[in-house]
Amino acid sequence: MEFDISGARIFWRIPTGIPILGDFLLTETLVVSWIVMAIITGLCVFLTRNLKVEKISKRQAVAELLVESANNLVRNNTGGTKFDRLIPFVSALFATSVVSNLISLTGIFRSPTADLSTEAAWAVVVFIMITAEKIKAGGILGYMKGFTEPIAVMTPFNILSELATPVSMACRHFGNILSGVVINGLIYAALAVASSALFGLIPGAVGEFLSHIPFLSVGIPAILSFYFDWFSGVMQAFIFTMLTIMYIANAAEG
Amino acid sequence: MGGSNTQALVTIIPWTFIAQILNLFIQMYLIKKFLFKPVNEILAKRRELADKEIKEAREAKEEADGLKVQYEEGLANARAEAAQIVQSAQKEAQIRADETVRQAQEQAAGIRRKAEADIAQEKKKAINEVKDEIGGLAMDIAGKVVEKEINEADHKKLIDEFIKNVGEAS
Repeated sequence: MEFDISGARIFWRIPTGIPILGDFLLTETLVVSWIVMAIITGLCVFLTRNLKVEKISKRQAVAELLVESANNLVRNNTGGTKFDRLIPFVSALFATSVVSNLISLTGIFRSPTADLSTEAAWAVVVFIMITAEKIKAGGILGYMKGFTEPIAVMTPFNILSELATPVSMACRHFGNILSGVVINGLIYAALAVASSALFGLIPGAVGEFLSHIPFLSVGIPAILSFYFDWFSGVMQAFIFTMLTIMYIANAAEG
Repeated sequence: MGGSNTQALVTIIPWTFIAQILNLFIQMYLIKKFLFKPVNEILAKRRELADKEIKEAREAKEEADGLKVQYEEGLANARAEAAQIVQSAQKEAQIRADETVRQAQEQAAGIRRKAEADIAQEKKKAINEVKDEIGGLAMDIAGKVVEKEINEADHKKLIDEFIKNVGEAS
């Protein structure tokens, strides 16, 4: 029995000839990302159809709850309405992350978050925002000077720790999702082997036939999937979002 | 597996990286346009409505309070007025009653005085009559004395009779 975990499938390769960027690959990651975006946008459109001031529908209540939760999350963690402009960004980050993590539950799609490119992209955007916020708070010189504190010797370490922020954010999220993929793959493979061995004990053609169907794969992986997909998926999205808010709020305080 | 049909498990593909950044911003724009903008608008509208209603309620309350004060004032005035009316009526009644009693007493006193005067006059009149009668009687007695001889015994009897008559008359 062979077991292999591979990266996202490549559907189409467009040679560009640009040195560093390389060929454009239409991968599963991108396609599923677009599906995720379509789902989120469709949900937004569906929830906000027919809004009323009074006697609201359940759908509108959900929409309002989502908006209020996002507002409260950002406002409570940054202490005020100073960062209200960040709310749509943070919401987009969270929604995309959650839906991307959970879309693997369909069994058809591979999570776009199981590709480091996705998390790296998000982390770099957040890193640029943090840096911009720091420069805005202390000026470019203040930002530079921040690296030499508390003493000049610390400068290399400060730069390292600054760069570690996006790397750790990206790798934390990616690692958790990938570990879910790996563990689930292992479980399925192991259960297939186990059921093959178990039903292979039945003599004759019946056992031969039944041993090819992984009966044990029904049910048991669902329990593990509850942790690795549901819990971990929502948790990682939340952590990524919270870190984004925290880092940006801290950066603005200088 | 792991051939040209899949990418490496842990890798960053530059174009995917760029595309994902763009996707994130497009998603942000879409969420802003389709979720936050309409919902925030409706929330603002509702807040406005609630504020308006609270303001109206406050105004109505203020008006009601003003009316209440006015009514209470009016009521207090009316009560004071009523009390005053009752008081003055009582006073007047008292005065009138006193007057009536005084008049009655006066009248009674007048009647009594008159009655006393009448009695005194009657008494005087009666005494005068008695005196006249006594005079007449004395005349009669004198006539009788003259008519017949009076013995000792008769004389005595006559005097007694006379005194007795006088005593009865007085």
